[in-house]
Amino acid sequence: MNPIDGVKQNWRVLLLVVFLAFSVVALFVPGGIVADSSVANDSVESGPTNLEFGLDLDGGTRVRAPVTGMTAADIDAGVVSDSGQVDGDRIEEIESTLYTELELDQADARVTVDDGGSVSAEVFTDNVTQAEFAGALQSANVDASEDDIRDGVTEQTRSEIISTLRTKINEAGLSGGSVSEQTMQDTNYIVVEVPNMGSDELRRVLSERGVVEVVAYFPDENGNQTNETVLTQDKIANVDPPQQPQGPRGQSQGYVVPVQVKEGEAAEQFQRDMERYGFLDEGYTPQGACNLPEENGSISFDHEGEQYCLLTISDNEVVDAHSMGGLADGMIAGTWVNDPSFQMGAPSQQEAQSLSVNLRAGSLRAPLDLSPERAQLYSITPAHADQFKQYSLLIGLLSVVTVSGVVYTRYTDTRIALPMIVTALSEVVILLGFAAMIRMPLDLSHVAGFIAVVGTGVDDLVIIADEVLDEGDVSSARVFQSRFRKAFWVIGAAAATTIVALSPLAVLSLGDLKGFAIITILGVLIGVLITRPAYGDILRRLLTDR
Amino acid sequence: MAYFDVPEIDYTRYSNRQLAAVPLAVLAVALLVLVGSFLVLGSPVPMGMDFAGGTELTVQTSTPQDDIAGAFDEDANVRSTGTDNQYVVQFSDSDLQSLRTQAESGLEQDGSADIVQSASSMGATFGQQNQQTALFGLVIAFVGMSAIAFILFRTFVPSIAIIISAFSDLMIPLAFMRLTGIPLSLGTVAGLLMLIGYSVDSDILLNNHILRRGGDFYDSTHRAMRTGITMTVTSMAAMLVMGVAAFVLSIDLLASIGIILFVGLAADLMNTYMLNLSLLRWYKFEGVRS
Repeated sequence: MNPIDGVKQNWRVLLLVVFLAFSVVALFVPGGIVADSSVANDSVESGPTNLEFGLDLDGGTRVRAPVTGMTAADIDAGVVSDSGQVDGDRIEEIESTLYTELELDQADARVTVDDGGSVSAEVFTDNVTQAEFAGALQSANVDASEDDIRDGVTEQTRSEIISTLRTKINEAGLSGGSVSEQTMQDTNYIVVEVPNMGSDELRRVLSERGVVEVVAYFPDENGNQTNETVLTQDKIANVDPPQQPQGPRGQSQGYVVPVQVKEGEAAEQFQRDMERYGFLDEGYTPQGACNLPEENGSISFDHEGEQYCLLTISDNEVVDAHSMGGLADGMIAGTWVNDPSFQMGAPSQQEAQSLSVNLRAGSLRAPLDLSPERAQLYSITPAHADQFKQYSLLIGLLSVVTVSGVVYTRYTDTRIALPMIVTALSEVVILLGFAAMIRMPLDLSHVAGFIAVVGTGVDDLVIIADEVLDEGDVSSARVFQSRFRKAFWVIGAAAATTIVALSPLAVLSLGDLKGFAIITILGVLIGVLITRPAYGDILRRLLTDR
Repeated sequence: MAYFDVPEIDYTRYSNRQLAAVPLAVLAVALLVLVGSFLVLGSPVPMGMDFAGGTELTVQTSTPQDDIAGAFDEDANVRSTGTDNQYVVQFSDSDLQSLRTQAESGLEQDGSADIVQSASSMGATFGQQNQQTALFGLVIAFVGMSAIAFILFRTFVPSIAIIISAFSDLMIPLAFMRLTGIPLSLGTVAGLLMLIGYSVDSDILLNNHILRRGGDFYDSTHRAMRTGITMTVTSMAAMLVMGVAAFVLSIDLLASIGIILFVGLAADLMNTYMLNLSLLRWYKFEGVRS
């Protein structure tokens, strides 16, 4: 037999061997074959394989929660003209009506226009009813009734939330976290998964809105102290990591987060405001301008005399108050606008860090609804996850041994049973290799899928073996081929039903079951296309003379 | 070594009516159980945390099992896992944060291990949506499977025989769940879906042997049975081992998939070789051929 004929006759087996070899490389060679090499360097795991594990098997926390808020979609608000021009002033007018009518913070309401020119108004709070929202829209001369309002927020808002959360989680130094969106029964959920983080910590990160602003605290014309917002997140171009500046006497004066205000209009406006509020008046002394007393670690506004302070405010809480310092000199000299840097104060390193993260990630467009009735939480310690990992391996091995035992007692012929078991296992190896290659994080549901794959795999091999062995010995390759083809009709039909039965799970967002369905479907496909034909070839070689 | 061979059953001794009576009676009982419990208890099967909402904590503690429930304000259901000093505690309440705090303050730490090893909570609203999604998935899967059956055989009786068997394969494990108190979880739904795929295999095999091949009816039947029963028994063995091992080790997801598939496949043996077979025999010998 010349080599070319050999390849031609055994191509199915060779294909299986090639796939197996690829899988083994993907599984065991460090670095392996990875779909996206940039990710590979990110998390250098020191396990014996290249497999990625999900929360169940690695530990971590997952939160699934809807977004708080409601939307009046596609409203006729006179915002977009017939020519498609968007009227920014009208948007601001509606927004400010919403703030005042519903007594909302600026962050809790907004009007947006999507690419298709349809206008949506949203509020991001639970404290307003649909009727109140509709009423407020009507006061802004928007034709909207209660029926036009639905729970939930717009797609744009959700994607903003997702990208903000992604930045927040990565900034917090947690690699491998993921944020995604899931829709179930018309409710949109945000799903956040973070390995190596407890549920309390993740909850804290998620419940922080992260709205940071700088407020000027100064006496107005009548001498009453008032607050005016002078700097918001959208006016900041760049954020540096927190620093601890040295004071005049060499000791620390809390922490600061250096930021760059956007050059041009934003910086000029900031300077004009400071001038208008009297922060740059003559006779101003950098040291004495702000001197708020501290009580129990928080800033007290119970004071005497005039105060000129810049307050750092995070989620409506005053984090720090400090005076203009060197900033005033630059503004008075007129040089500041050319290099508009600014330092936000924070009392501790932790505060400074979270300030910096919030500034960089931006604020959450809308808060997540983490209430017990609507959210889903799951967390598992690494130790417990590790236990699951070992148990899964044990259960998998037990199942394989059982299947092998049954197959062997049924055929009592090693020539048939052994290749059967080896082929079924190679299906699992190929699947594992595939999972390692696409970096699919494995969970318990995937383990169930792997066991199901061994089950269906062996079933189909039984069909092949019985069909081929039927009606006496296989005398020639031609007899073999015709019987093999008959067997394959049944296998194909069975595979089709399994795929159809499990495909809803692969598409629907039904918790953990997606992984199970995907692995089982993939396993069936690999089985039908690669391993089962190869088993036929192996049987043929063993049963016929050639 | 034990040797197992598929026994040859002498089907000629039984009439179609006799053959079909047993599986139909079992199906009727199963439906009775499901409808009855729906009318009396409000749901055909007990709903687990995934669908009803609630909290489940896995705790590692040296507090004795009997005293664990006392550490919580809510009613707690405590169950030991396969590991020493490790317990699963379930609540119908879904306020994970406060339950977690109660566990951490009320239970004794076992060595240096964290008290709360894993925690999972599901809001009731969320569970409600899961329920509808799961039902929708099951219906779609069943309809899809039925469509495939019709496409494969293109004749009414053999296709409907497959569909009736598959329906019964689903109803019997569901009734089993009600009777044994296994709650419906995402894992059991996966088991049921898997069952739709698995159980149809043996029906397709039987129909294929009888309808698409020549030869004597009983010969074909016996050949199909030899293969089919081997398949089903192999799967049942794998699922039983997986189910029991996972139950002992407290991996609920795997345990429920394993047990449900085991029961469903056992039901499938009966449905395929009694119900489906009698329908096919009737079709082959007495039915109106199109």
